[in-house]
Amino acid sequence: MIPHAPILAILLPLFAAFLMPVVGILARRRGIKRAREWFAIAAVLAELVIVASMLPAVVGGQVLVYQLGGWQPPWGINLAIDGLNLLVALIVVGISALVAIYSFVYMERDTGLDQYYTLFLLILAGMMGVTLTGDIFNLYVFFEIMCISSYALVAFRRNWQSIEASIKYMIVSSLGTSFILLSVALLFGQVGSLNIGDLMQKFGGVVPSTLIVPLGLFMTGFGIKIAMVPLHMWQPDAYQAAPSAVAALFSGATTTVGIYAMVRVVYMLFGILGVGMILAGLGLVSMVLGAFMALVQRDLKRLLAYSGICQLGYILLGIGLGTTLGIQGGLFHLFNNAIYKTMLFMIAGTIIYQVGTSNMDKLGGLWNNMPVTAMAFMIGALAISGVPPMNGFASKWTIYVAGIEEGQYVFTIIALVVSALTLAYFLKAFNSIFLGQRPKHLKNVKETPISMLIPILLLAALCLVFGVLPHLGIELVRPAQEAVMNSGGYISAVLGGV
Amino acid sequence: MDLNYIFAMLLVALGIYCLLLKRNLIKIIIGLAVLTDGIHLFLISIGYRLGGTAPIVSGEMFSDLPGFAAHAVDPVPQALVLTSIVINICILALALSLAIYAYRHYGTLDPSKIRRLKE
Repeated sequence: MIPHAPILAILLPLFAAFLMPVVGILARRRGIKRAREWFAIAAVLAELVIVASMLPAVVGGQVLVYQLGGWQPPWGINLAIDGLNLLVALIVVGISALVAIYSFVYMERDTGLDQYYTLFLLILAGMMGVTLTGDIFNLYVFFEIMCISSYALVAFRRNWQSIEASIKYMIVSSLGTSFILLSVALLFGQVGSLNIGDLMQKFGGVVPSTLIVPLGLFMTGFGIKIAMVPLHMWQPDAYQAAPSAVAALFSGATTTVGIYAMVRVVYMLFGILGVGMILAGLGLVSMVLGAFMALVQRDLKRLLAYSGICQLGYILLGIGLGTTLGIQGGLFHLFNNAIYKTMLFMIAGTIIYQVGTSNMDKLGGLWNNMPVTAMAFMIGALAISGVPPMNGFASKWTIYVAGIEEGQYVFTIIALVVSALTLAYFLKAFNSIFLGQRPKHLKNVKETPISMLIPILLLAALCLVFGVLPHLGIELVRPAQEAVMNSGGYISAVLGGV
Repeated sequence: MDLNYIFAMLLVALGIYCLLLKRNLIKIIIGLAVLTDGIHLFLISIGYRLGGTAPIVSGEMFSDLPGFAAHAVDPVPQALVLTSIVINICILALALSLAIYAYRHYGTLDPSKIRRLKE
């Protein structure tokens, strides 16, 4: 492990974000081309190295605890990294690296790239902060950094769509983050601690009934961020209006962080209250509603946004079931969802980049123009609908089996039906974009540029690898699953010195 | 003392009311500010103690630490509120700038008229 790796993982993108405007000014003065892009990619790759260096210790079953300023945990702020944190951190950094490479060409037609990359690195810093911290107020602060950067990123192009979507997103999401702050205040008033490990220990099996209010507020707050069904209104607008690279980042990384916060705070802290079944129920509702709304969409990015809501349902269902198999399936699906959802948004971005629209009524017959992109879209579509031998099948199958083992046949049946619906609307999308009659003005559309194709093909390859060798994925999420089920290890590691 | 909590929750309720039911972007943003201020008042009240002293140990207080601890207010909520105020300034600034852009594009601040995305 690189010394001080946990804190470096947060500080590196934060400082890189503030250096970005300087780099932009220097590059303009000296006439260096693409300095900002290279700087951002270098920063994210260095981040990847830092996070990967923590892997051996955590996979070995250790919980890394880093005390800021040398203060003992219940009093000082600490960073605590167990299997769950590290899995999420790896997903976040990996997706961010690919999105940075993708932005290299995708964003070249935009102006104000200084701001874009500053916000990109700031949202990365926020996400890493939420993922690695072991203090609940610190988690709220980084959550806000993440949210504020994401409002600005949605509004990045400053046309009427993005302004409207950003305002909508901001009003709903600010309400959510205020709820999180209020429940942190209520928790502090009730229990007198802000350290997550300490809170878990103080609850110790008996949760006073007064804590139902903070539980509900936390659930609403994080639920807005991950767009769980009754709170999902902002997401399709935001994803449609944001640049596709940003939408890819949101759907792959930010949602993953939101789900992590949901699992760490709501599920692990209040787990005794039977939160699991509530999460599973909300997951089912998200699944069904997301699938039905996706069926009627005509814009590719809106369709992908609704299918993201639908996939979120599977993750919540798996984790909510609470068995070893269920949590394994849910976390594996979280991992897979980040892979193919990012890939599909990137493909939507390349279509917008080459054709100029993502309205499926105006597209058609692009198979001959962009065969490689079409193949990648097909792989993504099959993976997301859970067709073997793709990674989506492996994780969905684990969740189905977990549902049957628990005796919840209804859950499994609904999940299966929704899977079929997913296939239906993705085939419809594939049909109207790549097959059928090609409008005359699309005759000269070219294949995706190679530097945008590299991240897409990499993700497509991952879809196949984890589909053919699912045990690789299960092995990858096992430390995370053990961390979710063994909160005692986390508590004793954090409070070990006390 | 109880009055603090009542007022805090009243502010929170008022803020949520403004946020959800007002038909003007500026009023919605004011609602957001009121809501967070309510939460800040609530947080500060948790740590407050009637007739308490500032939680700074100096000079002669070192000789009577338990006595000092019995009188000082809780510093943690104050630190939290300071952080939270800074965050909310960011949100308000961003929200107001977005409201300016929205007014330029649509010529209105009525959120029910700013909805072209749904088609």
